[in-house]
Amino acid sequence: MKFLNNDYTHLTLRLFIGVIFVYSAVPHILNSMGLASSIYNYRLFPSSIIGMSAAFIPWITLMSGLALILGVKVRAASLIISASLVIFISLAVISMIRGLDIDCGCFIGIVRKANWLAVSEDLLLLLGSLFTFFFDRTRISLVLLIKKLVFHNKNYKGALS
Amino acid sequence: MLKLQQTATDHTSESSGREPTFSWRHVIKDCLYFVAIAILLGGLLNYSLLSNAFNSTLIPRIQQNQLVNLRSKAKQLYGISVIELLSAKQLYDEKTAIFLDARTAQEYEIGHISGAISVPDREFLMGEIDPGKILPNKETVLITYCDGGECELALDVAKGLSESGYSNVFVLVEGYPGWEAAGYPVDK
Repeated sequence: MKFLNNDYTHLTLRLFIGVIFVYSAVPHILNSMGLASSIYNYRLFPSSIIGMSAAFIPWITLMSGLALILGVKVRAASLIISASLVIFISLAVISMIRGLDIDCGCFIGIVRKANWLAVSEDLLLLLGSLFTFFFDRTRISLVLLIKKLVFHNKNYKGALS
Repeated sequence: MLKLQQTATDHTSESSGREPTFSWRHVIKDCLYFVAIAILLGGLLNYSLLSNAFNSTLIPRIQQNQLVNLRSKAKQLYGISVIELLSAKQLYDEKTAIFLDARTAQEYEIGHISGAISVPDREFLMGEIDPGKILPNKETVLITYCDGGECELALDVAKGLSESGYSNVFVLVEGYPGWEAAGYPVDK
């Protein structure tokens, strides 16, 4: 259990999941039509849902990923990422059951089929994000570091006089 | 002065990295902020995509883009010729081409181009299907198809056939959905 209560374990997981989500979100923001095309391939959603998902989901995942990297609002970011992963996993399983041989649309430019491998990878990420949610111990982060530099090392007396 | 001192204390305790207190209300509130900002930014930057989505012009645009991408992929990456839907229908009517369904056997059973032969991509690539047995004449015009859109199974099968010495292999990028939507003959 010591391993679970380690600041560095938490930091590593946060950075790992955050970087993956930012890396996934940025190309989708730049090519929202490509994401719309991937969502359409699931053959489950009407036009309006495809459009809204392609327009909003990359921004939600980008902000959540950045929040994890920076160490701000970690619980909210982890919750959003966990919810997204549950949706992605469900979609991949449904597609496999329906026998669709499609790209999961997780990353643009990288072929990643919606198969059991993708599902198991997403399950691992889900475990990681649930860990950062339930065992939030953000003691090391860029934001805290900046705050420390600004508020600890500055002499307040100078400002007060 | 007291206020300034208070602010400094707040920042100090926050930056000490103590265990954050958990409250579902705060977490949900933060999530809603994230979603609101995402809707604002995504809505502003994807106005045309959203208007297409609500005007029901998004799906035809996606289908068009996918066909263009698949056509260029077939030519550039696979070196396979693409056949237009109308030309394929003409060859079908003249009975001068054999249609090969590259989807799974289950999908083939659900519906396929009338008279097409099932050549599932996976079995074909694993060598479980011998093309020489079902297609003895290497000069025959062969048209492979799958599910349209971004489906590349037909490209894989077409490439495999070309490499096996078949000289007239084409891909119907519109696939079974395009053929069916055009009202051409299908078996179900």
